[in-house]
Amino acid sequence: MSDLSFLRNLFRRRRTWTAAAYLLLALTWGSAIALLALSGWFITAAALAGAGLLLGLELFTPSAGIRAAALLRTLARYGERVLGHEAVLRVLADLRGASFAAVARLPLPAQRRMRSGDLQQRLIADIDTLDGVPLRITGPLVAAGLAVLGAAGLAAWLAPWPAPLLITGLAGLTIAASALAARFGQTRSRALVGRRSRERVALLDYFGGLADLLAYRRAAAYQQDLERREREQAGALLLQERVALGADQAVQALVALTALAMLALALHWHAQGLVSAPVAVLLALMTLGLNEALSSLPGALWRSGESLEAASRLRGLGVDSADAPDTPLQDAVRPGEAPQDTDFRVEGLAVGFPGQRPLLEGLEFELVPGRPLVIHGASGIGKTTLLETLAGERPPLRGGVRLAGQAPQHWPETTRYRAIGYLPQHTPLLDESVAANLRLGMPELTDQDLWAALDTVELANPLRREGSGLDYRTGERGQRLSGGQARRLALAWLLLRDAPVVLLDEPFAGLDTELEQRILTRIRPWLEQRRVVLVTHMPERMPKDWPRIALG
Amino acid sequence: MWKAQVHGTRMNSAADIDTQAPSIPAAASRELLRVLLRPHRNWLYLAWLAGVGAGVATIVLAAAVAWSIHLAVIGEDSALPWHWLAVAAFAVLLRYGLQGLRDWSGQQLAFLVRGDLRRKLIANAAELGPVHLAQRGHSGAWASRYQEQVDALGGYYARYLPALGLTLAVPLVLLAAAFSQDWVAGLLLLLSAPLIPVFMALIGMGSEQIHEAQQERQNRLAGHFLDRIRGLDLLRRSLALEAARQDVSAAANDYRRLSMRVLRVAFLSSAVMEFFSAVAIGLVAIYVGFALLGFLEFGPAAQITLFSGLFVLLLAPEYFQPLRQFAQSYHDRAGAVAAASALAPLLTTGAPHPAPHGANPPPTPEEEDRSGGRGQALRHHPVEYERSPGTPPKRPGPPALQLRAVEVRYEAHAPPALVIPELSVAHGERIAVVGPSGSGKSTLLALCAGFVRAGSGSVAIAASARPFAWIGQRSHLFHGSLRENLLLGSPKRVTDADLADAMAAAGLRLDDPTLPQGLDTTIGEENRGLSGGQVQRVALARALLSGSRLWLLDEPTSALDPETESDLLTRLLEHSHARGITVLLATHQQAVYQRLERVVRLAAGRLQEQGRV
Repeated sequence: MSDLSFLRNLFRRRRTWTAAAYLLLALTWGSAIALLALSGWFITAAALAGAGLLLGLELFTPSAGIRAAALLRTLARYGERVLGHEAVLRVLADLRGASFAAVARLPLPAQRRMRSGDLQQRLIADIDTLDGVPLRITGPLVAAGLAVLGAAGLAAWLAPWPAPLLITGLAGLTIAASALAARFGQTRSRALVGRRSRERVALLDYFGGLADLLAYRRAAAYQQDLERREREQAGALLLQERVALGADQAVQALVALTALAMLALALHWHAQGLVSAPVAVLLALMTLGLNEALSSLPGALWRSGESLEAASRLRGLGVDSADAPDTPLQDAVRPGEAPQDTDFRVEGLAVGFPGQRPLLEGLEFELVPGRPLVIHGASGIGKTTLLETLAGERPPLRGGVRLAGQAPQHWPETTRYRAIGYLPQHTPLLDESVAANLRLGMPELTDQDLWAALDTVELANPLRREGSGLDYRTGERGQRLSGGQARRLALAWLLLRDAPVVLLDEPFAGLDTELEQRILTRIRPWLEQRRVVLVTHMPERMPKDWPRIALG
Repeated sequence: MWKAQVHGTRMNSAADIDTQAPSIPAAASRELLRVLLRPHRNWLYLAWLAGVGAGVATIVLAAAVAWSIHLAVIGEDSALPWHWLAVAAFAVLLRYGLQGLRDWSGQQLAFLVRGDLRRKLIANAAELGPVHLAQRGHSGAWASRYQEQVDALGGYYARYLPALGLTLAVPLVLLAAAFSQDWVAGLLLLLSAPLIPVFMALIGMGSEQIHEAQQERQNRLAGHFLDRIRGLDLLRRSLALEAARQDVSAAANDYRRLSMRVLRVAFLSSAVMEFFSAVAIGLVAIYVGFALLGFLEFGPAAQITLFSGLFVLLLAPEYFQPLRQFAQSYHDRAGAVAAASALAPLLTTGAPHPAPHGANPPPTPEEEDRSGGRGQALRHHPVEYERSPGTPPKRPGPPALQLRAVEVRYEAHAPPALVIPELSVAHGERIAVVGPSGSGKSTLLALCAGFVRAGSGSVAIAASARPFAWIGQRSHLFHGSLRENLLLGSPKRVTDADLADAMAAAGLRLDDPTLPQGLDTTIGEENRGLSGGQVQRVALARALLSGSRLWLLDEPTSALDPETESDLLTRLLEHSHARGITVLLATHQQAVYQRLERVVRLAAGRLQEQGRV
């Protein structure tokens, strides 16, 4: 599938709406042309009749036609805008859903890359960029085609063959120029997008590393580099805009010159008696009226590369525009069954990144209820990688993890996450209410359940004092909570999942010692009923009788 | 306590700053837009001139075409009026050429203004320093301001401002031409034009109200998708992916409905404009037609000719064209004002320290005297620092840093963040700066680094203390290879052997599995592949290679576990001791500061005691 067919499939879903919008656009332009041409015809005919050169001029039809064209143009324009935008926004709304599903279906390593803020922003910008395709490219192309056909048909009916030829020739020239513009513009647009993301990288370095740059006196060099990039980037952008606008004016000039040629021809035919004077004026003004339809085409196609580039990145994420927008995500439907047997053991396990030396190897242990396993070791030694492997989110390099006799990553996700509750080191909460965060995937939880869990982690009182209680919004990336509060909310989330196997990565990070001990005392019975791995920097703060493994 | 966290410290985060932007008075943003225009306003005048010239060419074109038709249809001579058609063709070229020039100048203006603004942003960021910079948003937010928000100003200069001038000038010129031929037709045009802005203003006000009422909901829905992508891991582990997918679709459709409400009003206002212009053209055509037929006996109608009728008819659509362009560019203004109000506060240096000359007295002769010879002059901050000559000085020598009666404030009327009556740091001295969090440790270090300035008092820094090494709580690694990162502070040529030595000294192993290509391993976004400890080690190796004589360390090991921390500190202290490097190390851990020979204690921003261990 190419980028083009991706776009075709995408907008096909609302093809009735889109087609109606295109027709209305053609009608808008048609009535604008009619208004001008009919007015010219009417004035010339009136002048001839007034001078006694034309007999029996019927007044009602042309003046009614002029009024109708004036009204129709307005109505068609409004309808076209509303319909066209409605269709496009519906398509883009569906595409957001489909893109989310596509990203959710990506294999985990690819999905991890989407943690980068830059990629996320780009995904959103890419989806928004696609609105230009029907609104600025296909719509005007189709409508201009219809307007040209109408005008050429009328010219063929009223005048000798060179008249329609002139009009189709004009349209053909414009479309050929647009095709050329599309071809050259696309490579430039793509290059522009690439250059912009490189500039962003340099900007992140400058703003993020300013302390080091100032300390080592490198700030000036980086500033110069940024200025150079800006000059290149803005210069390329300027050229891009200038070509688009220049093409617009050039096409308008071409249309005006063609209208003059049409006028000369028509006046010539008039002198020969082939056409009447009012028709001669009508032909010229009709040709002139095409400029609105034709002038935006080359510029829009010159910039079409931006949409194609966006489409190709979306395809790269596995977004398929032919998918029905409401295909459910299969693996993610609750309720899944937790396996009855939650026996959990690790044999000869080596963890790490594929193709690299293992971070940890030769691990052997079995999880037993009542004896939570405390794992500690230096930063960067691979504790997080180990927990991800245990949770089945990363394949082991060697050896195995057995959950009820089977490797966790082979269990369906529903079963696995019912069996394993994993609290990673960083838990980005959703920008939603506390209740919505806690109820994720478990809509059946009552308010009492939530309050009980919040009480355990000592969040209930602050939330009650604050006033909005369970409806308190956590904010973007949990910004409306302190680090320790966010950590405790994540812990409450884990308690509510109530899984038989529990993996905790620094569960008490950001809490002071007393609070940590109070919470630990409260959840200790809960932990001791389960099979637990707890990773920490501070093993001495954990109960003395829990077994320990020191890494490194 | 909860409230304080929510409404106090948390509000400093980057995203909040951007959403708060609209509360900044619109006057500041308009002032910024004006100031940016000033140096390049000639391009705007050129755009206006070209636009008016195009209007005149349009009049010539309409006249030449109308006259050609008049001659050919009514005139006695049936030959084609070639010379008038040639004039018309020339007018066509002139008109579109001038319109092209108009657009070209507008683009040039926007290009120059954006370039100026970006240079200002960059220079201002360095002027603000990393401390004030971070208070105004994280680096991603700054990058977005630099790229997207500055771009959002483009349309204002490229389209809105040229259209603003021309929307008055060109219709006036065309109106004068129409009046010269037929004042009734001119009057028809004149009367229909003011109706347009009146109706549009009415509709525009309505849309503004809708917009304000919906803004918050719209922003939230716009962020919804991003939020769910960020929360993918949580959703997966909650088995809530399918629910989230439905949620995303529902939010996207809500967003669509909201957007359409705003758009419909905008379309209605442009429909009003189109309607009036179409009605006016129709009225002119019917008036001219009936006058030519001789049905209208009053005023100029009796004298109307085919030429004057066609001429007025051809001008009618052109008369409304600038108004339409203005209406189209109106949203450029709204976007630019919003962007400018976000950018304006970033372009003031903002840190409320008084002007350096007023508050910081010039260096006293006494200071100069104490500085001693050989390029070790104690200079007053901020000044150009000379590079120090090679060998480390012996202790006790002249101080590397000397602070006297220093006060630092982040807000003009807030209590001072730091008060230091007197602090002198000798060359090669290693000092722990201790105190609870928020006591001003980082401010003291930032002051010594020159990242913040003293509101009063004097800060004297020896030339040998520049450049210095800075290791913060989370060091920044630059995009590029490990080698490039290590060489950041080393202007001279360094061999791979030196690099390997420095890395070994910092405790970094080149054969580490996270460094598959050794020195040429690429380090990507968010220090890809390196752990917190490794990042701090790279920063340490970088500091070693730079040969800096002053190390400012702001809790460099706070992100590390105790063993790694102790190991890294041992290396830091060994190297600084062996090379006689002056060290200021902020920490709140006893295990750390016990290992340094001098301790400076801060509490609530005040220097409490200094003592030797």
